[in-house]
Amino acid sequence: MAPEISNQSLIFLIIFVIVPLALSYYYQLGVSKSVIWSTLRGTIQLFAIGYILTFLFDLPALYGIPFMLTVMIIIATFHARQKGKELPYVGFIIFFGLVVIEAGVLCLWLIFDMIEFKPSEVVPMSGMVIGNSMTAMGLALERMKTEFKENNGRLLASLSLGAEPKQASHLIIQKTLHASLIPNVDRLKTIGLVQLPGMMTGLILGGVSPVMAIKYQLVISLSIFSSVSLSAMFITLCMYRYFFNKNKQLLQNDEEISNSRS
Amino acid sequence: MFRFEDVYQGVLRDLNFTIEKQDKVILFGPSGAGKSTLLFLLNRLNDPDEGKIYFNDKPLDAQPITELRKKVGLVLQAPNLFPGTVLDNIKYGPSLFGEWEEKEGKKLLDYVQLPSSYLDRDVEQLSGGEKQRVSLARTLANSPEVLLLDEPTSALDYRTAEEIEEVLEELIEEHRLTMLMITHNLNQARRLGNRGLFLSDGRLLEDGKIPDMLDNPEQKELAEFLDQ
Repeated sequence: MAPEISNQSLIFLIIFVIVPLALSYYYQLGVSKSVIWSTLRGTIQLFAIGYILTFLFDLPALYGIPFMLTVMIIIATFHARQKGKELPYVGFIIFFGLVVIEAGVLCLWLIFDMIEFKPSEVVPMSGMVIGNSMTAMGLALERMKTEFKENNGRLLASLSLGAEPKQASHLIIQKTLHASLIPNVDRLKTIGLVQLPGMMTGLILGGVSPVMAIKYQLVISLSIFSSVSLSAMFITLCMYRYFFNKNKQLLQNDEEISNSRS
Repeated sequence: MFRFEDVYQGVLRDLNFTIEKQDKVILFGPSGAGKSTLLFLLNRLNDPDEGKIYFNDKPLDAQPITELRKKVGLVLQAPNLFPGTVLDNIKYGPSLFGEWEEKEGKKLLDYVQLPSSYLDRDVEQLSGGEKQRVSLARTLANSPEVLLLDEPTSALDYRTAEEIEEVLEELIEEHRLTMLMITHNLNQARRLGNRGLFLSDGRLLEDGKIPDMLDNPEQKELAEFLDQ
């Protein structure tokens, strides 16, 4: 097992911050303030969540887990929503998607005895699934908006020939899903070769045997792979329709899109 | 065929005119006059803010929109071809309605004067003029009654533009199409059009025969536009 990190040792972590600070100062990058601020913020957030998790892990599973998962999903919803806030109902759709995906993954874990229904196992594992799904939804939304802008002419051509919005958006849906899924597939391909995944490293440092660590890592990696794919697909297939009005006309700017369903 | 009654849309104001079957209309006007908006209204890529447009005596918005778009074909300034082969592009429209027949491919390429060997060619390998011909064939594949052309040759060099113009001239005659075309090329207007509509600041300032309105413009705005 790795030695416990003392508080004095933690202080020496400041060396890792001094390097980017020195670079920023030397090359006048103007990021010194944000380096200091993000280091402080990250440290405080992590300590705070450490104490909160200690408290939550002691709660009875029956209401500790739903409470923590709801908080995580709400925060993830607000974060992912920023990438497409001009789209109608985007927050509700993201929230709904995250709930369904998380519930599905959790059910599978529990049914096949992969984890136990206790906060110390469900919360960190679910955190990884929710976090990755949130990122996938945000990326898919951003990509879809870019694709709609870049393919404006093709969309108009397609509609003008008599295509339904779904048929006209086919190429965009395809490109968005491709862009969202490829990094995910690549990550899975190189897992363990380029870098040891964080969870596995943590378990090995915590004294768990590498084979056991790999089993946990496989559960989480494949769960993330599946939930990220589903998240990207869900948000893309739900949201493309809001780029059109009820008369099957392409909406040309954010204002038209946000007013389309009001 | 088309009737505009008090139509307002964006920059367009108070439009009242009719377009008869087989009219060959050229839309003139400075940039921002609303010419493209007008074409978009006819294909219902946009709707009027106020007023009504009729197509064959029925309000445009009372007709099934995809059927209407099939009848009123639009060719945009850029070809905007879909990724894939020439065949993928030209069968796109008819396939949406389950009407594609393989033998049509060669005929459509023949209309736009491209060899049938082009059917399997990737559109990325085509020149600008060839792409615009494929775009034209793609619109014609739907057998439209009306052809809307939004500056279809403006992005092409002089020689290629002339070739496309010849293709258009033959097609419109052969298929007895009603045409509305935006162009800044006055020679092209004289060759392809029999009627002109001059728009400025969203208003229809002059509606007349071609070449008369080009030789003897009534409105000073049109005279100034033609002098530029």
